[in-house]
Amino acid sequence: MSLLLQKKYVSSILFFVLIGFFSCKKEKESTTEAFVAKEVKLKYAKGFSIKDLGMYKTLEIKSPWPNAETTFKYVLANYGDDRQADNTISLPIKKIVVTSTTHLPALELLGVEQTLVGFPGTKYISSEKIRPRVDSGTIRELGKNEGINTEVLLELNPDLVVGFGIDGNNRSLDLIERAGIPVIFNGDWVEESPLAKAEWIKFFGVLFNKEKEADSIFNRIETEYLNAKKLAKNVKNRPTILSGAMHNDIWYLPNGTSTEAQLLRDANTDYLWNDSKGTGSLQLNFESVFMKAQDADIWLSPSNYSSLEKLKNASAHNAEFKAFKNKNIYTTNNTTGATGGVLYFELGMSRPDLVLKDLIKICHPELLTDYNLFFFKPLE
Amino acid sequence: MSKTYTYSFLALALTLVLCFFVNISLGSVSIPLKAVFNSLLNSNVEQQSWQHIILNYRLPKAITAIIVGSGLGISGLLMQTLFRNPLAGPFVLGISSGASLGVALVILGSGVFGGVLASLFVSKWGIVIAASLGSFLVLLAVLMVSIRVRDTMAILIIGLMFASITAAIVSVLSYFGSAEQLQQYVFWGFGSLGNLSWSDLTIFLIIYVLGILASLCSIKSLNTLLLGENYAKSLGLNIKKSRLIIIIATSLLAGTITAFTGPIAFIGLAIPHLTRQIFNTSNHKILLPAVFLLGGIVMLVCDSIAQLPNSDYTLPINAITALIGAPVVIWLLVRKRGMVF
Repeated sequence: MSLLLQKKYVSSILFFVLIGFFSCKKEKESTTEAFVAKEVKLKYAKGFSIKDLGMYKTLEIKSPWPNAETTFKYVLANYGDDRQADNTISLPIKKIVVTSTTHLPALELLGVEQTLVGFPGTKYISSEKIRPRVDSGTIRELGKNEGINTEVLLELNPDLVVGFGIDGNNRSLDLIERAGIPVIFNGDWVEESPLAKAEWIKFFGVLFNKEKEADSIFNRIETEYLNAKKLAKNVKNRPTILSGAMHNDIWYLPNGTSTEAQLLRDANTDYLWNDSKGTGSLQLNFESVFMKAQDADIWLSPSNYSSLEKLKNASAHNAEFKAFKNKNIYTTNNTTGATGGVLYFELGMSRPDLVLKDLIKICHPELLTDYNLFFFKPLE
Repeated sequence: MSKTYTYSFLALALTLVLCFFVNISLGSVSIPLKAVFNSLLNSNVEQQSWQHIILNYRLPKAITAIIVGSGLGISGLLMQTLFRNPLAGPFVLGISSGASLGVALVILGSGVFGGVLASLFVSKWGIVIAASLGSFLVLLAVLMVSIRVRDTMAILIIGLMFASITAAIVSVLSYFGSAEQLQQYVFWGFGSLGNLSWSDLTIFLIIYVLGILASLCSIKSLNTLLLGENYAKSLGLNIKKSRLIIIIATSLLAGTITAFTGPIAFIGLAIPHLTRQIFNTSNHKILLPAVFLLGGIVMLVCDSIAQLPNSDYTLPINAITALIGAPVVIWLLVRKRGMVF
């Protein structure tokens, strides 16, 4: 009996000592770490922020959609598999669902494309690495972004769904969240500069505990971009640029503050609507576009028209532009993946360096002589 | 024709000519009046681009506006008399929904059906042919029903049912369409007057003239129909034949206009009422030419407003027609405390 008592006594002492030890340690840890909360440095992106608090990280999405008033805050922790509170996400993500093709390049660049289990609109996926996984059925089709097939998604039971919203109203994403699957809104497309958009790779980096990789990938892209910009800076001849196309009576073209216009500025070109401001695209009358741009040297991205004939068929006026007569029209629409997805829509946002180099190559052919156009092709 | 009508017609005709020139001289780009007239007379103009804008953009647009306004107005008048219903218009019979269905099949359905539809989409006339075929087929179905059903009200309701069916099919197609296809379809729905080249306009004009001729042929039967079908029958009118001619005239006018310019709201329904308010008669000999003039005027005015003169912007014509036009009709009805019908 005494032995038994002794044993009990000893074990309870041991238990309390251990408890005390661990609790003290924990307390000590948390207090020290609260002081060293580090904010992950972002150079361009304004829509999100990451704080590293040691035991866990916090992710804040500040502008998930244009003029959003709510900020979403998530706790990211390496807890393993057990799912925590609503806004706590366990790292690293092992099964992910993303909803826009623009999210795919980040997964591929970080080498975590095998975690993708479902996607709405798989036919738009062009990535050569991800495509075979769609074809073999490893990545499930989820229908449409605005009406995700909830049953399939629940069956897939991903650790995280990366959504995007144009105004925060997406009932199917609400339903998924209520089912206990965390949803994070990605606001990369709301950013105002090409490099800021590309910097969202760091958002994916933190989800997969690959911050360092994300950082170095972004730095590479940034360096390439800035070098190309520098190269174009000294060129004296700045070609005039027309962009967009007319649908019915209205000509849609990027405004001067858009990322497209910034890219054109960085490529040292004279975009004719450089001075315009505003959100969204410009919607102009044919007459005013014609007066300003009939002699423009180059016509870029004439909407989704894929040939000179289609462009002329859409409106006979299109053939009156000098750029049309000289066949100086370039489009990203004809560079597609195996199932017809436009590569520019998927990869363009993540690789502004390639977009800029394309523009420089088109507008200043004497530069980048060894470079081949990646997204753009002349309209035939 | 009494003297009062002569003066009214003269005033309307002059207004139409005036609106035509105002429409041509106003636009985003301010072009001096002298240059406008020189362009029209094909003499030297300071800037080549001004001439292009006047001759190849504004002039076809103004002519299209007159065709659209008068054509839709007349087909609205025919429908209202045929069905003896002030709410009838070219769109009620399912003509425009048929056209929308045709366009939706070509734009949105090319992905679903592929093959022939996709190749039709590529061709220049794809949308026009599809819209005309669509409205013609729906109308043919309504006609078949009209042979079996004697009651014009029933035909009206059947037309509405066809419209609902086509709308449903369009929404299914929209669900499966890609973003670009949807965009294209929505753009078509905005309506457009300025997208026709001279060669397009020639074909448009030929079909339009055929439709106008058919409606001129129906003036007598239209006046008789106003008295009621039974009375018309007792006067020796071949109801079936006149009904057929009237429906063909409507489909030629409304079908082609919708095919070339997209669905233009309000005009078909409202112009006949506007005309009746001004002329205070239900005699089609007066109404038909009056609707022609007034429709042209209203459409030219709407287009001039949609172009937002001296600004770089432009508005969809379809929004302007209803936004500007509907309050005018409401005001007239309230002021006169009822409609002439």
